[in-house]
Amino acid sequence: MVTKDEIMKIAILSKLSVGEDEIDKLTEDMGEIISFAYTINKAADIESDFDNINNLSNVLREDEVVPSMEREQILKNAKDSDDGCFMVKNIMK
Amino acid sequence: MKYELVAGFETHVELATNTKIFCSCTTEFGGEPNTHCCPICIGLPGTLPKLNKKVVEYAIRAGLATNCEIAEISKMDRKNYCYPDLPKAYQISQYDKPLCEHGYIQLSNGRKIRILRIHIEEDAGKLVHRRGDTLVDYNRGGVPLIEIVTEPDFRSVDEAKEYVEKLQLIMRYIGVSDCRMQEGSMRCDVNISVRPEGSEKLGTRTEIKNMNSITFIAKAMEYEYGRQVDLIESGEKVVQETLRYDDVTNTTSSMRGKEDANDYRYFRDPDLVTINVPREKVEQIKEELPELPEEKKNRYIDELGLPEADASLLTKYRKIAEYYEKASEGTKNPKTAANFIIGQIFRSVETESEKEEFNVSVSAENLNELIILLDSGKIRMNLAKSTLDKMLETGKKASELIDESDMGGLDENTLLDLCKQAVENNPKAVSDYLGGKEKAVKAMVGFVMKNSRGKADAALAEQKIIDMIKNT
Ligand SMILES: [Zn+2]
Repeated sequence: MVTKDEIMKIAILSKLSVGEDEIDKLTEDMGEIISFAYTINKAADIESDFDNINNLSNVLREDEVVPSMEREQILKNAKDSDDGCFMVKNIMK
Repeated sequence: MKYELVAGFETHVELATNTKIFCSCTTEFGGEPNTHCCPICIGLPGTLPKLNKKVVEYAIRAGLATNCEIAEISKMDRKNYCYPDLPKAYQISQYDKPLCEHGYIQLSNGRKIRILRIHIEEDAGKLVHRRGDTLVDYNRGGVPLIEIVTEPDFRSVDEAKEYVEKLQLIMRYIGVSDCRMQEGSMRCDVNISVRPEGSEKLGTRTEIKNMNSITFIAKAMEYEYGRQVDLIESGEKVVQETLRYDDVTNTTSSMRGKEDANDYRYFRDPDLVTINVPREKVEQIKEELPELPEEKKNRYIDELGLPEADASLLTKYRKIAEYYEKASEGTKNPKTAANFIIGQIFRSVETESEKEEFNVSVSAENLNELIILLDSGKIRMNLAKSTLDKMLETGKKASELIDESDMGGLDENTLLDLCKQAVENNPKAVSDYLGGKEKAVKAMVGFVMKNSRGKADAALAEQKIIDMIKNT
């Protein structure tokens, strides 16, 4: 079963802040989600089905350059930009 | 107590494809920030990656050149971590079904460094940290990489250096990467532990990340070995951690909380279908593989009779080997071209990149022409050498630089005449020679060579001069 510690670890990895009062509920919910997912294990022949999505393989493209997008367009949805770059809060501590 | 170093390598090699691994943006190095980008490589929602055929081919080439088995079925996985250099918050990589496995590279001391696996993945973007914020350039994001992972088989820093050099050479030869370490197209992570000599058990390892020079790798390994030995000697424990090497202070320091392997939550990328590698394809790529540096070197030694040192120099860069092979084509002695290249042409290339490019002013065809002239007896070695110097200076062909009148060597009478003059004009050299200084004869030979403009046969001239001195 899922433990509180695991929930906290996942929260940290997912960059989510989880309050003390939420942990119990989240642990319970996550437990239910995971046990639901376990039903998949009962299905037969998972491996071979999963190894071939829609029976497709080798969907490959040729190595030919197509012009990239205008930088203006690339940066258009960025929260912040400067000097032609995406700008984020300093991540170096 | 004596301690043994145990190390393993993870090497990222940027593939020399035209386009990125999952989109058709160019992989060209440099360029204004974010100008080699599209919705796929900046990870916009709703976009779908499509695998570049060349990436699969190049990885298979790399696998075959390092004695790997090529998987029949392979797939792509997502490696999840959150960092701004990765716009999707996951890197598309390979987890449990890499394209290549179980290879090796043999070192000159006979030891084999086992290669655990080679997988394909996408590179991350570049971050520039400023005060207060971080700038992100995704030009490099999505550039194809292979990651070559070895077993912990290294026992010395020298082995590590040789491995990196060999790997670099092989990858360049087979044309899958330029492996320019300064530009970051080849980067190494090294994991290191130490253990008492004779012990079988591995010690706790640390990992030094992202080194892009062989010198730094060697220095970092030496430092880290010393640091770990000191810790153990003083009764402390080595902590398993990820380190960064600082080349200014020549020390390693801990990198902040890198998530460990379990936390990457790898899972299959549902956007990318299975990669099937038919055996015929593997055979075809194997057939097309060029002669590898090691094979080439051995052939130069065994079949062409070149000294090992010469064979090493000529095979160290692919372009030099190609140049040598063209220049020596159809010549009498394979050593002639080797001597000209190593003795004279090498003087015009200094830096690593000049050697790599080997764009010298004398083309291989022109050197070949000069050697053919020499072989046919039309010119003598001395004239050939001085002509080659002029060719290097001017870029002209031998036939443009040598007068018709200089060809064909000297007739016997002219030679004798010049030798006679040499003896008459150098009384001191004659008496020195008679006084036991055998080298004094060289001055007189020099006189003959100079006055015949290099046409005389130096060995013959020397014999004639000695005869003359002795018979007077
Ligand atoms: Zn793109």
